[in-house]
Amino acid sequence: MSADYHDHDDHHPSPWGPHDWGHGAPHNSFSPLIMSIGCGMFLLMLGGLFSFGEYDGRYLPMIFVSLAVIAAALIVWCRQDMSFDGSYEPRAVGVPFKNVQVRKVGVWIFLWSEMMIFSSLFSTYMRYRQGIPRCDTVFESGDWVEGVAVTCFEPASKLIASSWWHIAPGAINTFALIISSFTIVQALRWANKPVGSVDEEVRRKRVYRYLAATWCLAALFLTLKMIEWFIGFHVPEIGFLGLHEHDIHSLYSEGYLINNDHYQAHHYVDEATGAHMVANIQVSASLFYVTTGTHGLHVFGGIVGLTYLTYKAWTGAYNPQSAVSIEYFGLYWHFVDLVWVLVFPFFYLY
Amino acid sequence: MGGSAVSRRLALISLMAIAMIVVPAVTSLPSGISGVKDTGCNCHGTEADPSVTASISGLPSSYNASETYNVTVSFTGGPAIDGNANLGGFNLWVSEGTLATLDSSTQLWGPNEASHTTEGNDQRSWTLEWTAPVSGKDVDFILHTNSVNGNEGDGGSSGDMWAKAQVEVTGFGGELPEADPFKVLATLIVVSSVLLSIVVLYVFYRNNPEGFEWERFAPWITEWLTSTDHKKIGTLYFVQGLFFLGVGGIMALMIRVQLATPGAEFISQGYYNQFFTLHGTTMIFLAAMPLIAGFANWIVPLQIGAPDLAFPRLNALSFWLQPVAALLIFTGVFSGGGADTGWTGYAPYVVTENTHAGVSMWAAGQIMLVASSTLTGINFLTTMAVMRAPGMGWFQMPLFTWSILVANLMLFLSIPAFGVGLIQVFLDRTIGTAFYDVAAGGDPLLWSHLFWYFGHPEVYVVIVPAFGVISEVIATSARRSIFGYKSMVYAMAGIGLVSFIVYGHHMFTSGMSPTLRFVTMLTTMLVAVPTGIKIFNWLKTMHGGSLVYRTHTLWTLGFLVTFTLGGISGMFFPSMALDVHLHETYFVVAHFHYVLVGGTVFGFFAAIYYWYPKMTGRMLDERLGVLHFLTAFISYNALFWPMHRLGVVGMIRRTHTYYITTDDFQALPEWAADWNMLISVSAFLFFASNLLLVVNMIKSLIRGEKAPADPWGGWSFEWMTSSPPPTPSFDPHNLPELKDANEHVANEPSRLGQMFRRLMVDDDASEGGSH
Repeated sequence: MSADYHDHDDHHPSPWGPHDWGHGAPHNSFSPLIMSIGCGMFLLMLGGLFSFGEYDGRYLPMIFVSLAVIAAALIVWCRQDMSFDGSYEPRAVGVPFKNVQVRKVGVWIFLWSEMMIFSSLFSTYMRYRQGIPRCDTVFESGDWVEGVAVTCFEPASKLIASSWWHIAPGAINTFALIISSFTIVQALRWANKPVGSVDEEVRRKRVYRYLAATWCLAALFLTLKMIEWFIGFHVPEIGFLGLHEHDIHSLYSEGYLINNDHYQAHHYVDEATGAHMVANIQVSASLFYVTTGTHGLHVFGGIVGLTYLTYKAWTGAYNPQSAVSIEYFGLYWHFVDLVWVLVFPFFYLY
Repeated sequence: MGGSAVSRRLALISLMAIAMIVVPAVTSLPSGISGVKDTGCNCHGTEADPSVTASISGLPSSYNASETYNVTVSFTGGPAIDGNANLGGFNLWVSEGTLATLDSSTQLWGPNEASHTTEGNDQRSWTLEWTAPVSGKDVDFILHTNSVNGNEGDGGSSGDMWAKAQVEVTGFGGELPEADPFKVLATLIVVSSVLLSIVVLYVFYRNNPEGFEWERFAPWITEWLTSTDHKKIGTLYFVQGLFFLGVGGIMALMIRVQLATPGAEFISQGYYNQFFTLHGTTMIFLAAMPLIAGFANWIVPLQIGAPDLAFPRLNALSFWLQPVAALLIFTGVFSGGGADTGWTGYAPYVVTENTHAGVSMWAAGQIMLVASSTLTGINFLTTMAVMRAPGMGWFQMPLFTWSILVANLMLFLSIPAFGVGLIQVFLDRTIGTAFYDVAAGGDPLLWSHLFWYFGHPEVYVVIVPAFGVISEVIATSARRSIFGYKSMVYAMAGIGLVSFIVYGHHMFTSGMSPTLRFVTMLTTMLVAVPTGIKIFNWLKTMHGGSLVYRTHTLWTLGFLVTFTLGGISGMFFPSMALDVHLHETYFVVAHFHYVLVGGTVFGFFAAIYYWYPKMTGRMLDERLGVLHFLTAFISYNALFWPMHRLGVVGMIRRTHTYYITTDDFQALPEWAADWNMLISVSAFLFFASNLLLVVNMIKSLIRGEKAPADPWGGWSFEWMTSSPPPTPSFDPHNLPELKDANEHVANEPSRLGQMFRRLMVDDDASEGGSH
């Protein structure tokens, strides 16, 4: 509430536009305000779009509006960062991190909370995996009644690991993420080569191409995920490989669903008597979709970050002075990769 | 039920069946009519006949809750012939309350539908008993009567007539119908933006009344909306925190009016549930946390000699998420369906469709607050780790900064669990996942674990910063350094460590394993050790110093009394046997208000009086301050102390009302009503006395005395800048330096620090001297 603003408001760069990084903090920005409003709108409209699994399409346009607001905030944020060339990289002044870049410490601390998020999700998984009997076991025990849904645990791996074709999207994704961790490091390596040791045009091309490769691998990951969840795919007839023409169903069409109305689709049939056991697998499906979905959202966040990095690299902004920005993103990206290395065995194989 | 009753009933049913099959000639179904509420008795003619008149008598024009009325239904006219065995029948449907039979001429189809019996088929009027509901809603009575001639042709119903009567009994002003939440939200946003604009314009005018110019308004308001300066964001947090402290306080007053007298109906149960839920959520997340964040923003960079926080723009995002989250949390209230789950939001109730619709947005708002707290955590932990001024080692950090470090570490490591739990609840309520759906195998206790894994550290997150404030204030007021600085730091760190393994004491009555109960009982008792160390250190600081009685000193002394009392009442809960008795009673309410109000709020009132001159450059009025302290301290104790006793005699927490009549199952002793009245009166006094603080702050802004840089004689970094401090707070190219007698020790990295050094890649070396 002090009246000190007119002492220095002339020096403030626009809260919409690029910063002048020369003179130090603070830099005003409209981005936080817009992003908060966008997030609030999104959650509000999501609450209108779905209510206890019931869909109400009237709110769909507003969902897109709120996503556009969030995107606008991100654009303002990134636009302000475009002029950042690494000359104002703040460094730690106190022990024990003296001279380490401040933003690097921030990223490590951020990853700490990410660890807690995935730990909580895995705790939920362990609780239910241990606490609810497996559907196979229940079915074989015969302890069920025709027509009455049995609450039991059906790991997604039962469907996914049932054939090489079913597991193919997840397996390819695993390699996609591991390779993308390699390409991001290559981008950093090229950006970091000392000035003079490499032609600047070669550096620009290498950095942005490696970043674009990372972007493509991340996009491949999400595409395959959608195929595995919702779309399924077709295996053609290839004679010399001994392949017969058949369809690989998505998890959705196999009845692996969170929705109360659909779980009846998931049933076991006793070959001998023809009796059906209806399995209520809502909890297992919720766990699978939310845990792998949270990881997928992190990949999507990575794509958003990579879009900015790739564009900035295309303008030739990365050199040894500013290369460390790629390193910060790489820390996050390796973490997302590492989480997948845990998610894959727990949800796809076991 | 005896066997004879069963056989009698079976005999009756078979008799009825035989009667229905063998005697098709009977008219107006002699065994009773059901399900005709909407269709009418169309078996006795397609339209109601005006020559028959149906009537209901014995009903009041407006009813009292739970009272029983004798209702007489009758008809006149029509073809009915006196003396006929089947001359008339009726069907009565009520929308609320319960019906009961008085004699064998009537029977019930359910609590809200009645008809005649075979025995009562020869009458023109019947009498029933109706017990009024407690909801207070308006009640509809729909009556259909048949007038029957008893002929035998055409299925026995030709020439019969029927009539309908409808009576509405008004309730005592029950719940309003739910409004469209989006319309109400839009109205709310418009109204509050108008009010907010008026306040903002007034502040802009007061800011510089002589040089008032409209051209300067846009840059001024933009500066506040876009600022990334830690001092401006701190002020925004501070204003938000005080505003919601008032909102939460008003909710508490509503609760206290309702509880002032036994059996009261001031607010309905549905609203009461919203009030206590949102009182809790508001006070913890929208009042206490922003107040703490406000002071942390303002003071921490100043105390460690940093130009700003490490990530100023993320800091702005942390703040702006909060008001938007507050809007979401309150969305439901204004449409009549705010969250009614309690701030703990226990599963499985929180994911059922019986809850108010506002619960979804209540969860969504809290998800945003989790995001805000996570960003704050990243920011503060980074700032404190890397931006301490040269010369300031970990053990030269002022205790307030230490307390913020410990609090943020606790919050940062626990809040993701809460966030994940909230996301699960939100998804359960929206897209229909089944994390806490018991029918699908969901485990409600999992929510309790995720919630309390966060919830217990959370209560320390709000109290530990108050410890920091008290340490600062007491050292300055006693005019000496704090007694046992290192033990203070270790005590706070100890509280932080133990906070993660005590949360089981919130779940003693949930049926968790006795071994775990025992473990959490011991660890909870362990918390008393570091807390006790802190209290003795504060006492010893005063003992060794020479105390100056300023307003903030008074609040600190008040804190020492009330917090210690709250700490002692807290030691009743880890003891499992006592906990089972005291669980969910007002003893719990008394305990946590003693630590949260007597601890956190008193601590932060001390902080306001201590740092306000530094923040605004104006002194507060000491006389008003002392008056505020005296009235607030007395009314506060009168408000919360009696709750201990009420809790011990069994007054249940979160209960809509209570009874002192001796025939009630959960009746309280008669004196409980007097204590409750005292509590309610004190609550109003406490609220009013806190308005003195608001008056004091506004008055000081307008014509307060100019504050010097160091009005209290403090010696941490913040007192070395001007009041208010410049922007950036310190020149990044010329940081202050902390000189220490043990400088060689302070600047040497510790064992741990040396280990870190070896692990870290030396960034200068890898860059090969490129610049």
